[in-house]
Amino acid sequence: MDVARRFPKNNSRLVIVGLDGMPYRLIKNLAEKGTMPNMKRLIEEGVFRQMESSIPEVSSVAWSSIITGTNPGVHGIFGFTDLAPGTYRMTFPNFNSLKAKPFWERESSRRSVIINVPNTYPARSLNGVLIAGFVALDLEKATYPRSLVPQLESMDYRVDVDSQRAQESLSFFLKDLDRTLEARISAYRYLWHEEDWTTFMLVFTGVDRLAHFLWDAYEDESHKYHWAFLSHLHRIDEVLGEIMQGMEDDDSIILLSDHGFELLEKEVYINVALREEGFLSFDREPPASLKEIGNSTKAFALDPARIYVNLKGRYPRGCVKPEDREAVIRDLESAFSALVVDGRKVIRRAYRKGEIFEGPFSPQAPDLVLLANEGFNLRASIKAAQLWGKDIRTGKHSQPDAFLLVKGDGDKGIVPKKPRVFDVVDIMDKLQRRRPI
Amino acid sequence: MKLHNADKTCWNCPAIDLAGKVDFRACGQSAEKFEKRVSEDSDIYIMAECHRRPELGLFDPISITFEQCPEWQATPYGYMLQNMRVMILGMDGYLGWTLTLWLGSLGCEVSGIDNYSRRDWVMERGSHTIVPIARMTERLHAAKEVLGLDINFRRMDIMDRARLRGFVEEVKPEAIVHYAENPSPAYSMIDAEHAIEVQRNNVLGTLGLLFIIRDTVPETSLLKLGTMGEYGTPLTGRPLFEGMFPADAVLHWDGREWSMGGELTPRDPVSFYHVSKVQDTFNIYEACKYWWLRSYDIMQGVIYGVHTDQVSADPRLRTRLDIDECFGTVINRFVAQAVIGFPLTIYGAGEQIRAFIALEDAMQCMTRLICSPPEPGQYAVVNQMSGYYSIGELAETVAKIGRKYFDLPVKIQRVENPRVEADRHPFEPIYEKLPKEFGFEPRVSPEEAVYRMFELLTRPEIKERIEQKKHLILPQTWWSGIKKRVETIEVFEEAEASEEPVIVEQPVLE
Repeated sequence: MDVARRFPKNNSRLVIVGLDGMPYRLIKNLAEKGTMPNMKRLIEEGVFRQMESSIPEVSSVAWSSIITGTNPGVHGIFGFTDLAPGTYRMTFPNFNSLKAKPFWERESSRRSVIINVPNTYPARSLNGVLIAGFVALDLEKATYPRSLVPQLESMDYRVDVDSQRAQESLSFFLKDLDRTLEARISAYRYLWHEEDWTTFMLVFTGVDRLAHFLWDAYEDESHKYHWAFLSHLHRIDEVLGEIMQGMEDDDSIILLSDHGFELLEKEVYINVALREEGFLSFDREPPASLKEIGNSTKAFALDPARIYVNLKGRYPRGCVKPEDREAVIRDLESAFSALVVDGRKVIRRAYRKGEIFEGPFSPQAPDLVLLANEGFNLRASIKAAQLWGKDIRTGKHSQPDAFLLVKGDGDKGIVPKKPRVFDVVDIMDKLQRRRPI
Repeated sequence: MKLHNADKTCWNCPAIDLAGKVDFRACGQSAEKFEKRVSEDSDIYIMAECHRRPELGLFDPISITFEQCPEWQATPYGYMLQNMRVMILGMDGYLGWTLTLWLGSLGCEVSGIDNYSRRDWVMERGSHTIVPIARMTERLHAAKEVLGLDINFRRMDIMDRARLRGFVEEVKPEAIVHYAENPSPAYSMIDAEHAIEVQRNNVLGTLGLLFIIRDTVPETSLLKLGTMGEYGTPLTGRPLFEGMFPADAVLHWDGREWSMGGELTPRDPVSFYHVSKVQDTFNIYEACKYWWLRSYDIMQGVIYGVHTDQVSADPRLRTRLDIDECFGTVINRFVAQAVIGFPLTIYGAGEQIRAFIALEDAMQCMTRLICSPPEPGQYAVVNQMSGYYSIGELAETVAKIGRKYFDLPVKIQRVENPRVEADRHPFEPIYEKLPKEFGFEPRVSPEEAVYRMFELLTRPEIKERIEQKKHLILPQTWWSGIKKRVETIEVFEEAEASEEPVIVEQPVLE
């Protein structure tokens, strides 16, 4: 017998729907335009706020912050990539690297269904069901319990679209996006009905992919794929309607995104800037990896714009003495504050480690994280030859423009005026605590 | 000194599962699992997971070298995976058994299959191995007793795909050495049944194996035995490159030119057996292209010799040695002929030039190749040989050693050539990869290997076994299809032997 069944109705149910990369401004706009009527209703009935993402504003960091309610200095995920301690070896942190517990592991009496939360691969056991979100390389390892895999396969379930396809053909990519969404909907419906859950979390990640490749289609109504862009979100809105219908009176719902989006005008390559300013060199051009970093390198960057001082004693080819670290950081700050592309300042702000990270894993954090001004997308890129470039992507993440929507019983005061991704777990706790037992 | 494979990385390592391609600019991953390429684009990452060191999590496969990885241990042949799982198909054969003991002694976990068809084929031709070999069960027992090896052997036909698949899935080999082919040009020319049998076993066996690898162990490296004979001996005299044209090869025609770099060189097989090897080449080449398998196609010169430390360690560990026209290779046959006073049989003019390699050197090469796997999707060819000689020269070498050290009155005879091949031809093999990229240095001279063979083959019990099959020495399989024993054209007495062969005065022995 399930644990949850022994404690029936000790608290009401909580539904969390994530829309990866969905901007506050876009939701507002589509709700007003009638593309997302169910969202409109939720906005009217609940508390709807713009939410600040993590820094850096990438999915793995933001979602890890959302599900643990902690800062990267506590949960240990600072980006999609990281370096193995004491080396220049690139690693890809995943669920095993997460140092803080996600909310569903903190309270095991609640039975959870967790679908497609980024960075929860490989899946591990919980009271409930988990299907990991990207990056998940093998559906078997992405699914707990594994006995669910045949069911998912029969639905043609896929964790992610193949974003390489967008390079080949946008219409092919859109089809892939739709298929992936429909399979996700099948999986959610199946688990919604089959599982006796108390927490149900479902993340739609196609929004982020759509926005990366077709943000211009959203902004330009005459664009060939404008309708396709809206119809993807309309489909998600239909699912929201379905979810609301399936909810009982004392159930609560949280809708949120991990970051926002905006138009991408130029990609700016931070390692190129570091090279041009004399902070970084490589033994070989172009380098195959960071391992070929030159001995005199003072700083290097990892995606998207995390800058590490090449400290002596910390890295194999570190040359900056600890006492010189502060001076290097100051030089970096002044170099980046002066960085201009096409007459515009690229960097909105450079954050020092101490300003944004706190917790036991802060020592592993980057020394400096850059946030860009609108239109500029920052990439680390060790192989780029020019300071800036542009490929087929037209949308980029935006840090201040995620959204949060809470509809539950009672006080609106549980949602901070200016919420941040780290606050979500606290809101969930409060929502559940105020339930009559 | 730096070992030849010190700088190879997890990208080449069979213990790695290359888990997928991720483009973080689009936060996206590739759905295609076998989409494996080191990206030119630094924002697209290939992720690797290590079966042996799962604690590493997901990481960039080019960031750890063999030299840095504790799983790769230094050996005389390069860094080698500890307890590397190597599966040998055709374990009971001349090379298969020798390599089994060789790799086992280096610490590999050796597994293998054989259906004893080599024993059957030789028996069918009325012959036997002149060096007596034990039954497989006894061989395995002796390997345990004498060398302390646990060999995981299954009696199995490579064509039995269901069982082979099960065995591969169970063992998960990190390298597969494919020796399970019929190695005989003459056997393939006997008649339609024999030609078909050779091509069926060789071509279809290999093709099925490729599918099994794709489905079960795509990260393994396949070391497939080809032959220098795939290239033939083109009368233009163009060099016999290692499988592909080098980067600076250019085709001129009609006032225009094209780079040929990277294209497969022409093949000119000289028997239906050789055709089967060429067909294998194309099948493997395609499989590497379609499925990102990795393979070395080993164009081995004519093999000879009886010795490695392991096979010589106990009579029950000996590897076979055939001397009949189908399964005996030329130097092995010459030495056996010399031992019983049978004039050494040179086909035709005896000026055919062939590439050669001694058994021990071939084992060294195979080990070096196993230690340095190709990268995903890489089909690479090596010409595995230590030198090239004319057949006449080799007969002289054998004769001289037989006369000088074993007091044998060796004669040489020219017989009709039953094959369709050029008697006189240019020959310029290129064999630089093994020495330059894999650190191979031949350790055994032909003279030394021949000396060792005489030592073994002059033993009375072995000489007796040669005598028993003396009637099978002269070839009777004609490429034209005629059935008749070849006739002697002329016999050279010792005094008539042409020039002094170039030979080391005193063979250097360990």
